[in-house]
Amino acid sequence: MNAPPRRRDLLGIACGVAALAVMAAFLLLAVFLLGEARPVANPGFLLDMPSRLADRAGVGPALAGTLWLAFLTAALALPVGVGTAIYLEEYAPRNRLAALVGSALASLAGVPSVVYGVAGLALFVRGLGMGPGILAGGCTLAALALPGVIVTSRASIRSVPEGVRLAAYSLGATRWQVVRGEVLPAAAPGIVAGSCLAFTRTVGEAAPLLVLGAVSFMTFAPRGPGDPLTSLPTQIFAWTTRSEQDFAALAAGAAVALLLVLLVLNLAALAVRRRLRGASR
Amino acid sequence: MRVAELSGAGGASRSPADRLAGPVLLACTVVAVATLVALVGVLGVETGRFFTRVSVVRFFTEMDWAPFAEEPRYGVLPLLAATVQIAVGAGVFGVPAGLMTAVYLEHYAGARVERVLTAVTALLAGVPTVVHGYFALNFVTPALRGLWPGTEAFNALSACLVVGMMILPTVVVLSRAALKSVPAPLMEAGLALGAGRGRVVARVLVPAASGGIAAAVFLAMARAVGETMIVTLAAGNQAQLAWSPLEGLRTLTAFIAQSSLGDAPNGTLQYGALFAVSAVLFVVSWGLHAMGGFLVSRRRWAGAR
Repeated sequence: MNAPPRRRDLLGIACGVAALAVMAAFLLLAVFLLGEARPVANPGFLLDMPSRLADRAGVGPALAGTLWLAFLTAALALPVGVGTAIYLEEYAPRNRLAALVGSALASLAGVPSVVYGVAGLALFVRGLGMGPGILAGGCTLAALALPGVIVTSRASIRSVPEGVRLAAYSLGATRWQVVRGEVLPAAAPGIVAGSCLAFTRTVGEAAPLLVLGAVSFMTFAPRGPGDPLTSLPTQIFAWTTRSEQDFAALAAGAAVALLLVLLVLNLAALAVRRRLRGASR
Repeated sequence: MRVAELSGAGGASRSPADRLAGPVLLACTVVAVATLVALVGVLGVETGRFFTRVSVVRFFTEMDWAPFAEEPRYGVLPLLAATVQIAVGAGVFGVPAGLMTAVYLEHYAGARVERVLTAVTALLAGVPTVVHGYFALNFVTPALRGLWPGTEAFNALSACLVVGMMILPTVVVLSRAALKSVPAPLMEAGLALGAGRGRVVARVLVPAASGGIAAAVFLAMARAVGETMIVTLAAGNQAQLAWSPLEGLRTLTAFIAQSSLGDAPNGTLQYGALFAVSAVLFVVSWGLHAMGGFLVSRRRWAGAR
């Protein structure tokens, strides 16, 4: 906005102080975390098994568990979520039922993650007999991510100008040709950005996995969806609840590892987005 | 008429992909809806089963929550009160700071500061809540105990402060969007009338955006109510009515997280209590979120008086 020169006034100073406080809170968190994690800053930490002896413990199984969960969540939630969004925006008849389904799905985005954990415990772990394994965790996290993926994907699809569709139809394109050739390429960067946000938020979730029955002491790394449920967030929780100082350092180390995983996922999404944006031009 | 309804004209040239796309996408929708309906349904059924054995009235009126006692008592009020206390406390810290940061970003910050602050907000939004919980327990609580030596090891204040920090990005991003949607001529008109920038912002622009800001507050509260890891780690597990913020308390979410650490067997009352508490949580946060969503949907510049 090219408003007149910014003058300092009372409100500006007060708001500036608030902004500074936000910045300070974040820096405090980051610096404290890195400082606490220093004792465990060695490459072995990422691969070693948890141990009752703090100086030998590592996050190997938890890291593998989180990567498996991330993979399962993405594999389940992204296609189903984006498919649902395309259907609701481009295919579904504009009637009461479609509107109801749309708003019901969207409203589930407000349900706390721990509630998904309780429902997942009854449905996936017990009802469908999956047991407290990686698979049940992946299904629960996918369900948790689903409303967010659908809402953001629908918003990006809706933001594609109607004229684009009109032009394609007038050239004789079929509905799928319009969706595949025009709408999706234009909406893709937004879909990826929004889905990625919903997805990475899910990967950092500890509460639903705790409820499902995540374990924090494994002597081997999970090698597939059938193995017991373990993850970095629940490992951080387990170590944080131990009162010994050494375990606090382990928890901080695991937290840094988790933040690195999330960073890599976000950077990957950013790269995909750049690519898509380039392709759609 | 919707543009999509024009299609079908190209009937002759329909490829297999064309014929398959509709059914496949419909299947996706059915899977999504079925999964979420099943999850909500399971929650409803188990809650119903619980209330056949525990009186609904006593559940909502008794002041005592002791599911593991010899004679278990299920009065949800202390948990509900703790949840409200934490959410309101978090709002006291998070909402003003977030709103003022949004005002600063939108109306005062230079380009460079704006970029840095936006990035910090995004990074803060990406921090998992269990990491916030670690920070609350190992940094904020010791600091509070330094200030007030009587502070309990698990206390509400630490949880409030950090949950407030957790909701900051929600408040900042949504209120900023609300401020952005106020037409620029309002600012220009105010300045032209000789009012200072601060006065125009405080008296005209923020009131004009108040609908959207209220939505931001509701959505942030919904997140605070559902927040689990911070309160489980920092606020402790005393199911009590706490009168001092330096005492511990136990929220709905903390009960769920802690009681499922042990494994409640199928069909027991403890297992049922998990669902009844989840149902309460579901209704409260769903209501807050729906209210926020409603305010967002009717958010437009609604005229500043």
